[in-house]
Amino acid sequence: MNPWSALAIVLMVGAMTYGMRAVVIVALADRVIPQPVERALRSVGPAVLAALAVNLAAGGEGGGVDITVAEVAALLVAGGVAWWRRHMLVALLAGMVTLWVLSAIT
Amino acid sequence: MTSRLRDAIDRRAIADGVPLFLPAIPFGFVLGLAIVEGEMPLAIGWLSSPIIFAGAAQLAVVTLAGTASIWAVVVAGLVINTRHVMYSAAMAPAFQRQPRWMRWVGPYFLIDQVFALAVLQTDRPPAEFRRYYLSVGIFFALNWQWAVALGMVVGPVVPEGWRLDYAPAVMFLCLVVLGVQRRPQAVAAVVGGVVGLAAAGLQDRLGILVGAVAGVAAGAYAEHRNESRTPAQVAS
Repeated sequence: MNPWSALAIVLMVGAMTYGMRAVVIVALADRVIPQPVERALRSVGPAVLAALAVNLAAGGEGGGVDITVAEVAALLVAGGVAWWRRHMLVALLAGMVTLWVLSAIT
Repeated sequence: MTSRLRDAIDRRAIADGVPLFLPAIPFGFVLGLAIVEGEMPLAIGWLSSPIIFAGAAQLAVVTLAGTASIWAVVVAGLVINTRHVMYSAAMAPAFQRQPRWMRWVGPYFLIDQVFALAVLQTDRPPAEFRRYYLSVGIFFALNWQWAVALGMVVGPVVPEGWRLDYAPAVMFLCLVVLGVQRRPQAVAAVVGGVVGLAAAGLQDRLGILVGAVAGVAAGAYAEHRNESRTPAQVAS
């Protein structure tokens, strides 16, 4: 990848991330965020991360869905353990161990 | 100088930060691996840590870079970080009592963990709040850099059979599950995931954006229904 394109991406995302963290603190401290906007903001994190997870898992680069049974099982186990234990590391390990075991068997 | 530095650090803030930082270490490790596996030059991939300083967005950016258009990568990173606008809104009253330099410097450190800790300290006197906030913020900022660097160093030694290329997908899913606190957020996640999967065949990883927009719309609708239903339930 062209280093300048990579640097441009990092700088743009960095500057805009700072902007989003600073916008209300620096500029709009006395104003109230409209209710519909606040409602939508609350859903942004889960919606984007879920779409990102399935896209990365299914190899969504325009070549159609490409996912193995072991990969699907890894996601389901990791999700279940995250829900049950509320612990990132334990859930990640459970998902990866599932992937290793099922990949070795199948 | 050393004793002045020691006095400036709020030790309780560090003690509060350690348990929240420990789960971030494997995240930083996976990010480091993703930088090595990804198509960005390594130095620029690592620079995302001090410049962007937001794990999930960094992971998205370094994973997608080279496989999608520049704008698709930038939009994906930004959309993930929009929740920080809410953090900014929640912290604004406490920052109103801070000097101007702090209002400009403070937001850099406003990551998930710092927000979670500092939002509980907003009733403190301004100077104490500032000491706590900067202590925990700098603690996370410094430690994040080595956690990512460590992943980059150890990553290439890990055998391919370990399938660590798949770890970002698993980690994002764990983040979704851990981040869902209320039913409308669960609706947003499920719709975002299902629509994202249905749209996974689209070029340029456009499926992420399609899934995200559908999820946010569904979540906002669920929030609206939730709020309009609550008074009736209370009355009954």
